[in-house]
Amino acid sequence: MKKTLQTIIHGPWAYWVGAIILGVLNILVLIVRRQPWGVTLNIEIWTEWIGANLGILNDRGFTFQGLMAASGTYLNLGLLLGAFWATLVASQVRFRPIRDKKFFFSALIGGLLMGYGARIAYGCNVGALLNGIASSSLTGWIFAVAVFLGAWLGSKLLLKYLI
Amino acid sequence: MENSTFRSQRKWNIGFILFLTLLLALLSQISIRLTLILVLGISLGFVLQKSRFCLVSALRDPILIGMTQLTRAFLLLLGISILGFALVSWGAAQRNIPLSLNVFPFGVHTVVGGLLFGIGMVLAGGCSTGILIRIGEGFAMQLVAFFGLAVGSVLGERSVKKWSSAFGEWPGIFLPDILGWVPTLILEIIALSALWQWARWWQKKQLGE
Amino acid sequence: MTRFAMDIWGEMCPIPLIKAKKKLLSMQCGDILVLETEHSCTSRGIVVWAKANRYTIEEKEVANGIWHLELTKTHE
Repeated sequence: MKKTLQTIIHGPWAYWVGAIILGVLNILVLIVRRQPWGVTLNIEIWTEWIGANLGILNDRGFTFQGLMAASGTYLNLGLLLGAFWATLVASQVRFRPIRDKKFFFSALIGGLLMGYGARIAYGCNVGALLNGIASSSLTGWIFAVAVFLGAWLGSKLLLKYLI
Repeated sequence: MENSTFRSQRKWNIGFILFLTLLLALLSQISIRLTLILVLGISLGFVLQKSRFCLVSALRDPILIGMTQLTRAFLLLLGISILGFALVSWGAAQRNIPLSLNVFPFGVHTVVGGLLFGIGMVLAGGCSTGILIRIGEGFAMQLVAFFGLAVGSVLGERSVKKWSSAFGEWPGIFLPDILGWVPTLILEIIALSALWQWARWWQKKQLGE
Repeated sequence: MTRFAMDIWGEMCPIPLIKAKKKLLSMQCGDILVLETEHSCTSRGIVVWAKANRYTIEEKEVANGIWHLELTKTHE
């Protein structure tokens, strides 16, 4: 009993347990939000707002009030807070700095590719892949195959430049 | 390698729980719906971190290291989601509640987007979800990735029309419209089961070498 | 029975596992590979891989968010 409590607090939880709980949560998000869980659209519109305020992007009419009333904001914020709390509950919080500059560049380039790819495909792993397929949309399956191939290409780059 | 003593972070934990409670209480004054969504978001983040769930690993590791544990867990997540979405969608239609599903238009840009996303997520050590989770865990690398993600997303948003006008775009294909709900669900579950069997076989084969 | 320590500190997941796999090839049966990481996914990934390969693995959290792993090559 004590060992189970230890595992619940410190983790790791079994992958299949995570899958089931995430599945239920994913469905609940659909019910409450009346649209599926997604990550990148909200990040994009916040960036638009920041860019417009800094004068480097054309104003697309996003307002602070509007962004703060968007459900996507709270999903993404929740993700951050939840992950932090999970780490804190297990007393595993620590700052993990970048220890080799090659990872700085792979993170930056990787992020740019992800952001660009996600928005031209209208979603990321969650919005377009998981929830595209969950929505019984053929587009989701097409995107999934493309991401799988992309991961294969990315792995080749990883082995060549990051090992 | 660093040596640190074990320090209980319990006080910080209690403080953070108080902070979350306050945040939720404040938000509930403005909107119950948004409060529920924040709770769901926090739950998602919590479970993702605790189960070390990684969608990048699910897609990358079969080829890179021959492991399909997370791939199979992801297939389970997909199966539950497909069935749940179908149920909710049907229930909403019954009650005339408007609901939108992610049936996105597609074109060459869908494939290109997927390829770029796949490459990027391996290089960044996480997908969009993974980046947020790892920022929550304290990783500086994913903060940099997040910056890239934000900038890239704006560039992508401004490019979509160029892609669709250059190569065309077709409206999203909602399989139940073509096959009906029950055949669609049966087909999808069969496909996922087949992939699951393949994944289990694949790992056994890769490790048996 | 030799103990090998490999520095995987700060390496992005799954590079530590790839390096460990390679190192294991050059080790003898009974040798132990010692690793330390601050990444929860990396640690979990190595444990899962080791168990799938029926190697002996010990994982212990030695400080806040730092995991110490000992992987024994029990067979070829």
